Amino acid sequence: MSRIVAGDRAALRSLYDATSAKLFGVCFRILSNRDESEDVLQEVYLTIWRRADRFEAARASVMAWMATIARNRAIDRLRARGPLAYAEPVEAVDAADPAPLASAVLEQAQDEAALRRCLGELDARTATVIRTAFFDGVTYEALAKRLDAPLGTVKSWIRRGLLRLKGCLES
Amino acid sequence: MSGEPELPESEALAAEHALGVLTERERAAVEARMAADPRFAAEVEAWRARLAPLAGEVAPIAPPESLWRRIERALPANDDGRLMRAVRVWRGAAFGGFALAAASLVAAVVVAGRPPVVVAPSAAPAGALLNASLKGETGPPLFVVAYDPDRKALIITSLVPPGTDPAHAHQLWLIPADKKPRSLGIIEPGTSRRLTMAGPLAPMVSEGASLAVSVEPPGGSTQDGPSGPVAAVGQLSKI
Repeated sequence: MSRIVAGDRAALRSLYDATSAKLFGVCFRILSNRDESEDVLQEVYLTIWRRADRFEAARASVMAWMATIARNRAIDRLRARGPLAYAEPVEAVDAADPAPLASAVLEQAQDEAALRRCLGELDARTATVIRTAFFDGVTYEALAKRLDAPLGTVKSWIRRGLLRLKGCLES
Repeated sequence: MSGEPELPESEALAAEHALGVLTERERAAVEARMAADPRFAAEVEAWRARLAPLAGEVAPIAPPESLWRRIERALPANDDGRLMRAVRVWRGAAFGGFALAAASLVAAVVVAGRPPVVVAPSAAPAGALLNASLKGETGPPLFVVAYDPDRKALIITSLVPPGTDPAHAHQLWLIPADKKPRSLGIIEPGTSRRLTMAGPLAPMVSEGASLAVSVEPPGGSTQDGPSGPVAAVGQLSKI
């Protein structure tokens, strides 16, 4: 990251090689559209290039930071399609060969395990709804429509689930 | 109803934003609140950090080979980064700052979906006019500026929807070659203003000088320079 702050393009390229397939997967999962996912991914790396100086290693792993930027941008793009847009069935795509994991990716493994364990402690329905919301980036309204459940109910599942998740992660 | 404990309303909103279940309008409102309320912004960041590891479960998909070349081509044209860093130096370190302020304005612009306003000064000698688009770190221009040196007239148009974030003022700054910001006044969202550059200001409005808009308390910054986050910057160039 410090090399990227200093304007080292080779460093950005290394980061791109290590992380682009993961971030493209994140964008594509939300947008279900290759062209839009490419546009968003380009924005994401340009943002990283400009904002690397704002990355705080103490607060998040590089991968978590970049994944957050990618999700945010992809969700913005999804919302621009309209209030009820929800990800269409995913187009068939070839999954990438699992690239050799860079250290940037590995440092997240522990956090991942903790979160997975805590989601596992929620009831299955709540965990599924939270996962769906996260992966697909859809609104409460769209979730309720998908699940054929009242909006207020979905909202309360998620809010309670998040509260328990927080308690578990902090314990 | 059930007596189960619940997240406090403000943290619940922060968590929902991090999870990504809010509508476009709600997202814009939350981003605006983040820009104005560092504690709330920290709650959003904490929730983002809690949830981000989930992304590890998403199957990677290789982007096309051509994408890196596209990104690389976009890099040299992008000198905003250096400009932003320069801007940050004089505005002083503040929490959250730039991106949040810019994001809130960008979101607001997106929500309103207004067509961009084109500033077209009339009957001015071609070649002498300067203009600038003031942008956040990403997204469309938030302010457009045109300057006619003969008339010493600067016209700024805010593309931020009227009524956005009434608790704050958008203050325009000129940053000439000496890098010292000079206030040019407050711009109401969605309006245009014509400003006459009197006295020593006029020669400072030249090609390459920067313009910036900061988010300030009502009435503007009370210090000698911006006190709030800078939401947009741009450089003057010849049309």
